Amino acid sequence: MLALLAKEPAHGYELRQRLASAMGVVGEVLNPGQVYVTLSRLEQAGLVRGAKVAQSAAPDKKVYEVTAAGRDEVAAWLMDSSWPKVAPVEFHLKLVAAAGTRVADPVALIDAQRRELLRRLREAQRLIESHPAGDEDIGVLLLEGSALRLQADIRWLEACEQRWTRRT
Amino acid sequence: MDKENLMSAVVQAEGLTRHFGGDGVPVRAVDGVDLTVEHGEAVSIMGPSGCGKSTLLHLLGGLERPDAGTLTLDDQRVDGLSEASWAKLRRRTIGFVFQAFHLVDELTAIENVELPALLTGTSRRAARRRAMQLLERLGVADRAGYPPDRLSGGQLQRVALARALINEPLLVLADEPTGNLDSHATNEILRLFAELRDTQQTLVLVTHDPRVGATAERLMSMRDGTIVDDTRLDGGPSRQAVLKQLAGWEA
Amino acid sequence: MNSGRLIVGLAWRNLRHRPWQALLLLFALILSTTAITVALTLTETGDRAWDRVSQDTNGFHVAASAEFPADGSSAERERVRADLAELGSAPGVVAAAGPWQTAHVDGEIDGAPIRLKLQVRDADPAAVDQPLVTAGRWLDGRQGVVLEDGLAAAARLQPGDSITIAGQHVPVRGTALTVTVNPYPTEQPPTVWISPATLTRLASALDVIGYLIELRLADPEQAQSFAAAHPEVSGTWQEQKREAATDIQDLAGSLSALAAFLVGLTIATAAILVAGRMAAQIRQVGTLKAIGVTPGQVTRVQLVEYLTVACLAAAIGLAASTLLTPPLARLTRVLSVYGAQTAPVTWPRAAIVVAVAISVVLLATVRPALRGVRRSTVHSLGSNTRRPHRAGRLIRALAGLPLPLPIGLGLRGAARRPGRFIANTFGLTIGIALVIAGLALRAGVRSFGRQGLSLNDPDPISLAATTANMDRLSTLGFTIAAFLIGLAVINAIITAVFSAQDSARNHAIERTLGATPGQTVTAFLIAHLAACLLACAIGIPLGIALYDAIRGLTLNPIELTPLTYIATTLAALLLYALIALAPARLLARRPITAQLAYE
Repeated sequence: MLALLAKEPAHGYELRQRLASAMGVVGEVLNPGQVYVTLSRLEQAGLVRGAKVAQSAAPDKKVYEVTAAGRDEVAAWLMDSSWPKVAPVEFHLKLVAAAGTRVADPVALIDAQRRELLRRLREAQRLIESHPAGDEDIGVLLLEGSALRLQADIRWLEACEQRWTRRT
Repeated sequence: MDKENLMSAVVQAEGLTRHFGGDGVPVRAVDGVDLTVEHGEAVSIMGPSGCGKSTLLHLLGGLERPDAGTLTLDDQRVDGLSEASWAKLRRRTIGFVFQAFHLVDELTAIENVELPALLTGTSRRAARRRAMQLLERLGVADRAGYPPDRLSGGQLQRVALARALINEPLLVLADEPTGNLDSHATNEILRLFAELRDTQQTLVLVTHDPRVGATAERLMSMRDGTIVDDTRLDGGPSRQAVLKQLAGWEA
Repeated sequence: MNSGRLIVGLAWRNLRHRPWQALLLLFALILSTTAITVALTLTETGDRAWDRVSQDTNGFHVAASAEFPADGSSAERERVRADLAELGSAPGVVAAAGPWQTAHVDGEIDGAPIRLKLQVRDADPAAVDQPLVTAGRWLDGRQGVVLEDGLAAAARLQPGDSITIAGQHVPVRGTALTVTVNPYPTEQPPTVWISPATLTRLASALDVIGYLIELRLADPEQAQSFAAAHPEVSGTWQEQKREAATDIQDLAGSLSALAAFLVGLTIATAAILVAGRMAAQIRQVGTLKAIGVTPGQVTRVQLVEYLTVACLAAAIGLAASTLLTPPLARLTRVLSVYGAQTAPVTWPRAAIVVAVAISVVLLATVRPALRGVRRSTVHSLGSNTRRPHRAGRLIRALAGLPLPLPIGLGLRGAARRPGRFIANTFGLTIGIALVIAGLALRAGVRSFGRQGLSLNDPDPISLAATTANMDRLSTLGFTIAAFLIGLAVINAIITAVFSAQDSARNHAIERTLGATPGQTVTAFLIAHLAACLLACAIGIPLGIALYDAIRGLTLNPIELTPLTYIATTLAALLLYALIALAPARLLARRPITAQLAYE
């Protein structure tokens, strides 16, 4: 959000719109209230500065703009090449635990998870298909990213299934 | 669902078995498979390589003869048919899509597509017309006069799909349809298969690609010649829930 | 050397993997090597044998002779003898021999009566017409006679046997050839050379007595004018040679040309075989290159394979021709009254045969091998066979024809690959042409043989000899025809098999689309029968022309009836249909998935 503000100061509603257009359909999940809460927190952290602007035909709006510290933060965030978690640690540990404690069958867990992911993949594909085609709409990339990661995870699960089947 | 009561199943297999005799122990490629596919269903069969899914598909299409078990297509027992009878049946009721496309090199795209129609005795003109319509529908009409060696992978598979559809088959069988395609072409074909599924074309897809598998509404998993899982993929969470899940992946 | 063993090992494995291809190649090459050997032999035969014998024997240019009844006036005889002797010193004469005494007498060979013509010679070599000994030895002072070569052959007499002349047994000392008289049974009665001593023994039984003098001129071409100037002259060498042209020397020469043709066809056949192997082995080549085998080594593997077959074929061909020596010797006597004196298989001849076999193989293999080696490795690994070219207008024309589907498919498939269609048709055309030429040759040779049976008052031996000759001629014609037909059939088989393999993939695809195996086989057959029909249309006139070219002056123009042509066409179509049916059905029986899995 900070980065979106850095482009040009905006008030809360505009910011929401920018976010929505950036995220495409996924943006539908955005809680409207969430935006304002985050803005307040940013203000408290000193990364944005709010200023009230008087309007003629409407109540006062609060317009936010980025501070110098905020700009630094944005720059740092853009340059940061760390990637969100790659290794599916939690699920892997689930399997080990299941095998160890014999509470559940690892292979059954894998099958169930795989089915679930396949359902999600199917939905993601449906959403991609229903996306109106157009060059300006980069929001579809987000969906494609999800689909690809789901595929990767499904493939990993298949590999897991082969390994875990051998162990039992 | 209602339609299950009104219409009979397109495919009904019971105890389908096919083994390949090697020197010594014969390998059971397909081992006692029971399978039912209803009208308009899109089914995908997934599994690791060597699990027998391709062989199962071949059995459903009559490209191979089962060693045991029964197979019924549209209320007709077919497991004992001679090859000539199978051929005549296949003409009208089954459309095949292969991983390696299997188009005739010496014919142009449109000639390839109209081939099954000509086989059923359609007049040349009608066959040509239908072929052209299909090519247009699949978006490769501009390539109609080109031979296969001048077409890209995605175009080839689209031509192959047109060929499979020209006789308005009861059943379309696809064996790793995206296996030889790059990701862009794969997306194209996936979209086409999704459209096909939406027109209530009965579809059986064999694949190891999850994307292709996810196109169907029913997913079967095969391992070592048997079906180990059979689930429905539709009827999932709400759109909101899905979007949340997808978005939450990042967090 | 390690790489050497690797190459040989790979070559051996390749040969063992598809033995029937190697066998077919072997067969074709054997036919060719045997044909070449026979042709070489016959060429030597036809190589102006009369001239050679004349040269070897100091043959005559003009001859003068006279004959009298035995009980006639001896003074008369002396006078004539002196006149003849005078000719020896006439202007233009460079050598003279004789006058020798001649006589006619009754004899017996193996109990069969025969009229003989004796010629008295001494042991010293004559200046003109010293007969060429073909077996045994010339007359020496002792008792014994030398038989004219034709007589010896007809009566199957050898030195050491004996014949009866005027009731007396005389041993046979040897056999010899001369150009003065044509060999028996062309000329009768046959000549027997005897020594003066033998003449004395037989003096009482002689019927006709005569003298013969033979001269050589400074300028042989003047023989005619010499004969005009001297009325005693009874014959010139040109006349004699013309009479001797019951030879079929030119036929022998043409047979060599035919053998060359055979070799050409073998090369074409071998090329198809090799190219077919190449297509199947291109992937192997790619694999080998990919693992570091050099292109040179790869070529060597191919060469070793085929050279092995070639050498084997040459060896078998030579062995076969050695077995053919006795019948060949008899054959050459049939073809030329002056048969070949040398043994049919000599080292130069063997070398030629081996060289031809090897060059056939090299010619056939070089191009495809080089092409296989030059292709990039990746290309080879990925590809199956060469993609066919398009023949746009022809396809569109064919597509417009309202033909039932299998025919349309078959013809379109054929038109799509014009190179293969043309190669097939070419091979078949040559085959048909050879069949027609062979049949015509057989008929022509037979009728020629029948003509040769015009004899006045034939005696049993000459009758037997002439009949035997005629049989041999027929056998010759038949054998040649069989050779040609054999090679044509092999060519057809190879064509059909490779074509079937080529079409296998498309047929499998069509079967997945719902074509019955019957339909795919029909389509295949139609395309091939079309090629066969075209081949007959072109090949029959070609065969007639071929026969015309090889019959020379000896044989009659073509004597085949129109019915023969029709029968040949029908037989060819039927036979080719059968040949093509087998591989087509075999492939149709193969499960579809196995076929397509090759991709």
